[in-house]
Amino acid sequence: MAREVMRRRHSENAYLHRDFHGALSVGIDYLDQRFGPEAVRDYLRQFTNAYYAPLKRELLARGLVALKEHFESIYRREGSEVEARLNGDELVLEVKVCPAVRHMREHGYPVTGLFMETTRTVNEALCEGTPYQAELVEYEGESGRSVTRFSRRQP
Amino acid sequence: MIPCTDFIPAYSELFKFIEDRGGRKAVVEFWEYLSDNFLHNLRSLVEEHGIRGCWLYWSHTLNEEAADFTLELDEEQGEFRIIMHNCPSKGMLMGCDHIEPYHDYCGHCDVLYRRVLRPLGFECTCDMSECDRARCEFLVKDIRKSAPGEKR
Repeated sequence: MAREVMRRRHSENAYLHRDFHGALSVGIDYLDQRFGPEAVRDYLRQFTNAYYAPLKRELLARGLVALKEHFESIYRREGSEVEARLNGDELVLEVKVCPAVRHMREHGYPVTGLFMETTRTVNEALCEGTPYQAELVEYEGESGRSVTRFSRRQP
Repeated sequence: MIPCTDFIPAYSELFKFIEDRGGRKAVVEFWEYLSDNFLHNLRSLVEEHGIRGCWLYWSHTLNEEAADFTLELDEEQGEFRIIMHNCPSKGMLMGCDHIEPYHDYCGHCDVLYRRVLRPLGFECTCDMSECDRARCEFLVKDIRKSAPGEKR
């Protein structure tokens, strides 16, 4: 019968707990079952507008390069390949494999049918209140592979 | 995609959204749903290893969360304790000046884990008296090893 003690300080580890993707998927599933699919989109819009407010300010101030840097940073951190092509007022974001979906598939977490909204609705909400718009051009549910096109809204 | 590093604010905002739509009751219902549908890993580890399953589970998750913590396992006494010196989740929310954390953010831990562990024969005690400083303690005790006469 063992007695063990483990002491860890924040600086001893990197912050990257991928199982959180599974918890978010369950959260979306709960919202969908309890309040319906539009509630999922409402929640994701509300979260994006609140938490990513600084990023949206950057988008207003610096244009699409702010989104390009954001996406390159988050996908790199999660060890996934992403291609972000910026050409004037257009940014095409191509995610080969979504690291969230990949982690959930590999670890047996259910991927809720509305998980795609964490890409589509979040990206659309990032553009709300800015001169830009987001369009999910391709999405493949098994891997989460996606192509999103950000462009300047037509007047 | 919402990166896993942004999950905690997404989680806190989810609690607020659910409370706005369905009241506090719906938030607790969600925590129970999450416990039932997400914590299979903790459940199976404790079923297989007993109180050591808690050690195996939290020594993995808290390191990935870069928490500031002490874990204590005493298999003879049937006790496992988490001393959270600085909770990374609560700390992140407290340090984020452009969103307000859910008013009972820390409440989810007690509901989620108790719901898994109690049916397996483990009593949970959660001291949240310092959670406004991102500190707490969580004690898991094997009921079968409680001293005679000890409150169960």
